[in-house]
Amino acid sequence: MYPARFPAAIRRNPESSVPESPSPRRILLVDCDAFFVQVACLEDPEGAGKAKYLIVGGTPTGRGVVTSASYSARAFGVRAAMPTAHALRLCPEATIVGVPRGVISERSRDVRRALEDLSPIVQAASVDEFYLDLSGTERLFTGETLEASAWRIRQSVLERTQISVSLGGGTRRVIAKLATRCAKPAGVHIVQPGAEDVFLRQLDLADIPGIGPALVEVLRKKGLVRVEDTWPVQIEWLQRWLGDRRGAWLYRRIRGVDSSEVDPHERRKSISAERTFAEDIGDDRELGRRLLKLTGSVASTLREKCFRARTVTVKLRDSDFKTRQHSQTVPEAIESDAAIHEIAKALLFDLRADRRMPVRLLGVGLTGLVGSEDAPQLGLFANSGAGETDRERAVSRTVDELRNRFGRGAVMPGLLVEAKKTPGGPKK
Amino acid sequence: MNFTITRQNLHSGLAAVSASIPSKTTLPVLSNILFEAKEDGVWMSGTDLDVAVRVKVPADVKEAGSLTAPGKKLVEITRELPDQPVEVATRNEQIELKCGRSHFKLNGLPAEEFPTLPEVDFSEGWTVTGKDVNGLIHRTAFAVSTEESRPILNGVLWELRDGSMRMVATNGHRLARMGVPAESKGAPSADFIVPPGALQQVQRLFKDDDSLEVARSGNHLGFRAGSTEVYTRLIEGTYPNYDQVIPRDNDKMATIDKKALESAVRRMAVVASDQTHRIRMKFEPGRVHLNVMTPDLGEGHDEIEVGYDGEELEIGFNANYLLEVLRYMPTDEVQVAFKAPERAATIEPVGEELDYLCLVMPLRLLD
Repeated sequence: MYPARFPAAIRRNPESSVPESPSPRRILLVDCDAFFVQVACLEDPEGAGKAKYLIVGGTPTGRGVVTSASYSARAFGVRAAMPTAHALRLCPEATIVGVPRGVISERSRDVRRALEDLSPIVQAASVDEFYLDLSGTERLFTGETLEASAWRIRQSVLERTQISVSLGGGTRRVIAKLATRCAKPAGVHIVQPGAEDVFLRQLDLADIPGIGPALVEVLRKKGLVRVEDTWPVQIEWLQRWLGDRRGAWLYRRIRGVDSSEVDPHERRKSISAERTFAEDIGDDRELGRRLLKLTGSVASTLREKCFRARTVTVKLRDSDFKTRQHSQTVPEAIESDAAIHEIAKALLFDLRADRRMPVRLLGVGLTGLVGSEDAPQLGLFANSGAGETDRERAVSRTVDELRNRFGRGAVMPGLLVEAKKTPGGPKK
Repeated sequence: MNFTITRQNLHSGLAAVSASIPSKTTLPVLSNILFEAKEDGVWMSGTDLDVAVRVKVPADVKEAGSLTAPGKKLVEITRELPDQPVEVATRNEQIELKCGRSHFKLNGLPAEEFPTLPEVDFSEGWTVTGKDVNGLIHRTAFAVSTEESRPILNGVLWELRDGSMRMVATNGHRLARMGVPAESKGAPSADFIVPPGALQQVQRLFKDDDSLEVARSGNHLGFRAGSTEVYTRLIEGTYPNYDQVIPRDNDKMATIDKKALESAVRRMAVVASDQTHRIRMKFEPGRVHLNVMTPDLGEGHDEIEVGYDGEELEIGFNANYLLEVLRYMPTDEVQVAFKAPERAATIEPVGEELDYLCLVMPLRLLD
């Protein structure tokens, strides 16, 4: 658990953060407090807005999960990604409302616009998280401390958008990210330059972004649970246990080494979609249809964002919760439904051949993104595995145009039309 | 096993072999070097299962035998030993080194655990000069693909013909091809696709004046000169028909000073996109304009004088591909030939009778 407030031992006099030369970087992470809950309340002030305990997410019947919960509901142990039915058992008085999908991006844009008026560099890290780089603004704000800037930004965003945010700050992105957790809800938490080591050493390894459950388990077996435990371990030992790259990465990570810039033009790295089925699916034909739908959806987003992808990944979660995935990288980036589906189909076939269990979740991801407007590199050998023809590309783009004009259901693959006509037909 | 060897011989043998040892392996014996003490000297072998290196060094063998011992540690120890004879002996599964007052015992593994190296009959092969092979490797291997999506392009195609040999490498976007006349000993023509890692070892271990024996056994290729041997697994499959994609009708030719072009391209590359590294080259009589424009970053312009009298033509390239190719061009001037903005451009040395050609595919200029 994080301390509710910054420990006195590492809290510095705010005055001391007036930068010396060379100035340390001044990075803030702005995180909207229970964003989906706030948006649901703003959209429906009489309904959701008046609920004492509010959960935003899927229905409690079937496999609906919690997307976000109000802080009052969280006090009962309700967490995001938890089955809604379970959340209701923990907090029986909670009101459940669906995700206000249409307005989420609109509200997110409002917050971003407000931040862009307050900071020279703004990078949206997700729909409800924004990095700000205030380095070099010390004189502009006449020596205002980073903490004072953060409070001013919080207040200004609240006034302009009615969205409450929390801010974490520090000299690096990873520090700002970790500090935000201490700031929530509706607060500000700044790690002063020079106090990063003390701040990091009081955390659990599992708190550090990038250290997932599998790595936590490996380290736990070595007796390492907290950053403090791992701090004295020499890099050579971490490399011996985890391999050269991963060991060196962990060594730097727990020390908060992070030179990444706040980049407003940072390129998107992946596009993916996954579906948890209402009932597990064991039938290959039905899985094939679901895959077709998913690949169509991610491929369309890919083109909409003006990208092409080189790597296609298919992810399966079997009914016993075992998650597996296969990927394939092609020499030339692709964008058409046909080419992406062809690869995904082969990957799904391999995954199913390895283990035939009813499937709980199916996902498709695209990585290795390159801009479709970027000058394409011409290849020496035609049909050498690029797997996409100009015609396939043209067909996909035409379908996109038709959908834009006449709606998403205007054009769809024959297999999906057939499935729509005979609901439940293909299922056993 | 018991032998005495000079520190110099022990160190040069270990240095030759240790480069073939994988830095990370799940098979512990691969971190070791195999020692085989025979009447005529001591053989040392190392392998990463794809490429193997075996060398013989002179030693005074008192007792024949074999054992494997940790390669990197032995190299480090030998480097620090005084320049005196080293006595090497085995005791059970330990190797013992005595040199002056220094004394080491290192845990080894039985020789039987070491992978068997391919058996290659060098009497049925080809003989080539170290100079020819090293030259071909140097000017072509850089173009090999490093991506896993087309494994066949991860190797260098080596064509051995009656009276000549040629190496070709490509990643599908740029290609390097070089040929040299070569004497053959009556062995039939053959094509091999050789991993660049093996060719690196060949380049490192064989000198220009070595007479190199090359022979194939199944899916392996062996190289031998004197008491040094390199073995490699060959990449299986059919290499794409590279000859078909080399343009024969490129009618626009520009003769360019290599250094001037290299530095201009390098300057443009600074401002080029991190993703595509795209630069534009506009050829007109007497000069070429280089342009780069990258959204969110800025633009650059440069021009150099060239020998060109064809029609105006604008063509886009990945700056990195151009720079790589130019780096390996052996002459001060190069000839760049092209036909159209979306057709392969060829780059060849000017002024020397060399069968060397590089080819770069352009980037499509969308506007």
